[in-house]
Amino acid sequence: MSSTLDRPALGEERGFWGAAMAVLRKDLLAEWHTRERLSTMVFFVLLTLLVFNFSFELGGAALHQIGPGVLWSAFVFASLFGLHHTFAAEQENNCLDALLAAPVSRGAVYLGKMAGNLLFLLVVELLALPFFALFFNLSLEAYLLPLLGVFALGAGCLSAVGTLFAALCSNLRLRELLLPLLLLPMVAPVIISCVGTTAMIFQERNPEEYFPYLRILGVYWVLFSALSLILFDHVVEE
Amino acid sequence: MNPDEVLCLEQVEKDFGNFTALAQVNLRVSRGTFVLLLGANGAGKSTLLRLLAGLSKPTRGRVLVAGAEPNYTPAARSAVGLLSHSTLLYDDLSARENLRFTARLYGLAAPEKRIDQALDAAGLGERQHHRVRTFSRGMKQRLALARATLHRPSLLLFDEPYTGLDQRASAALSQQLIQLKERGSTSVLVTHNLEEAVHLADRLVILRRGRVGYDAPWSGGSTAELGSLYEQHLG
Amino acid sequence: MSSRLSGLFAGLVFLSMGLALYMVFIYAPTEAQMGVVQRIFYFHVPSAMTSFLAFFIVFITSIQYLRTRQEKWDQLALSAAELGVVFSLIVLITGPIWAKPIWGAWWRWEPRLTSMLIMFTMYVAYLMVRAYGTRPLQTRRLAAVLGIVGFVNVPLVHFSIELWTPEQQLHPQQVSLDPHMAYTKYASNLALFCFFFYLLHWRCQLEKGSRLLAQLRRQAEALLPEEKR
Repeated sequence: MSSTLDRPALGEERGFWGAAMAVLRKDLLAEWHTRERLSTMVFFVLLTLLVFNFSFELGGAALHQIGPGVLWSAFVFASLFGLHHTFAAEQENNCLDALLAAPVSRGAVYLGKMAGNLLFLLVVELLALPFFALFFNLSLEAYLLPLLGVFALGAGCLSAVGTLFAALCSNLRLRELLLPLLLLPMVAPVIISCVGTTAMIFQERNPEEYFPYLRILGVYWVLFSALSLILFDHVVEE
Repeated sequence: MNPDEVLCLEQVEKDFGNFTALAQVNLRVSRGTFVLLLGANGAGKSTLLRLLAGLSKPTRGRVLVAGAEPNYTPAARSAVGLLSHSTLLYDDLSARENLRFTARLYGLAAPEKRIDQALDAAGLGERQHHRVRTFSRGMKQRLALARATLHRPSLLLFDEPYTGLDQRASAALSQQLIQLKERGSTSVLVTHNLEEAVHLADRLVILRRGRVGYDAPWSGGSTAELGSLYEQHLG
Repeated sequence: MSSRLSGLFAGLVFLSMGLALYMVFIYAPTEAQMGVVQRIFYFHVPSAMTSFLAFFIVFITSIQYLRTRQEKWDQLALSAAELGVVFSLIVLITGPIWAKPIWGAWWRWEPRLTSMLIMFTMYVAYLMVRAYGTRPLQTRRLAAVLGIVGFVNVPLVHFSIELWTPEQQLHPQQVSLDPHMAYTKYASNLALFCFFFYLLHWRCQLEKGSRLLAQLRRQAEALLPEEKR
């Protein structure tokens, strides 16, 4: 790009994927420096598991029934923290203005943010798993691969919609309160499908049996990523 | 469109639903001009800059930068650099990392070299690996200017850049703005700091409740003269 | 709409409601198994259909608003969303009233009721976003985004719940109705749809008027000299 100062010239638009990568790398770098988002989320998941342990008597047969629900409730609530932070960090010093004033499409900013949220959520899920296994006396080696699959899909769906809603709520009063109110009904299909799949995984059912759930998750992810990509422009526009 | 024209606002209106910030604004600025944009609080100055930066879309009318609309065309935004009273910097990243992010965002060639030059020019070479959170206000503003000019934009927008700067830092900032002007960039400066602005501007535009109240060349003068002209057109 | 036409419309609504009420309470026979309480069906089901229609209208008008930025689409979206919330509330209230004598419990987590509850919460959130926005034009855009995303979610909610509790299909799926009951159901549907459109029209007019008033107020204030504001 060579816009020189003595001639008003148009540069180029930064490529879509390059821009998204730049945003993602920046978010990862910032998190690497502070580790505040990740640590808050992981700690919150552990606390939630603890609270659930007191609320229900978990052990034995009951575990297989309630365990998946407990796990995913913890993840969803933790994700609310992470999602809120996505744009809270950009509002400090009005950094979002810098992102929007750059020659990148709004969709690229969304994609970078979403990828960041996805990775954070996935890491939180993976870090929480051994603690879950520990607290509830579960040996998870047999389930690891399918669990990873459902974790990835769940994280993908939550971040696809969550990133859009986090941006949306950052423009409103009471944003910390509104984000859960908006997000929780929206991700009901995700919670249902993830909990259903995880339960079946623990019951060592045939993958064919929980495939319909995975299909819903897949459709949800693709559909809402595409929709959010298009609608993000309208959300951040002034 | 005149190829020498860097920015152009045609019958621009910006309405927020409960408040009309700009109404029937027409402005054409050719390259190399340093525009001083004055007005009372709420007159629409920041709104106008945001329209030029592509952060906002006009409710009616057209905003053109180097012939393209920055609010619709990402490429048009590559010609614009923005320096605000907020730093637009990430406090948790180092100075170098902030500039590197900007370089990546703008797709700049030979980024590391450019970053070196920018850090030298801003006098931040020694502190480049320190987190921006540890910088003083003056240092942050120097870095912010480096960030705004890293991609060598032809149009520079300054939204109250002197906010929070002491005498020395303000003078240093003005010095840099003069250098940029001498290199041929076009600038629009919004400020209440008339002392610094009076030496920089060669065109004066005064906004009054969202409309252009005064638009004429400024051929230099004292701060007092500028002040009284401003008072006259405030209404 | 001219006042003559709206008068006719009002008359139509009145007549259709009257007819439906007659049919629900007098014309339709009492159901063999459930007894008198089954008559709630004629309020419950059309309300559900009406709320779906309302949310579909929110979906379409939201898309149109984002595309054209014309006020009328946003006014329609807001009105339809409010009405959708009201009608889904009717469903959620009549449901348990019907359920208690029939299923033995006020509430069961079965597909249709749960879907309706989730939809209700989504659109209540939509209305809250409208209330908590700071800048009107921006708030309308944000609400439009919600209106689109929320409706796309509806089928996904439905399918996922169906997978979750297939054995809990407590709602009668295919019911062959006595012809009298079928006619009553159609009449009820018609009445409620007419009522819905009537309310939609007037809510829209109200919104239009209130926005016009706000705009005139602002213009008047702008004309006042500084000191008097």
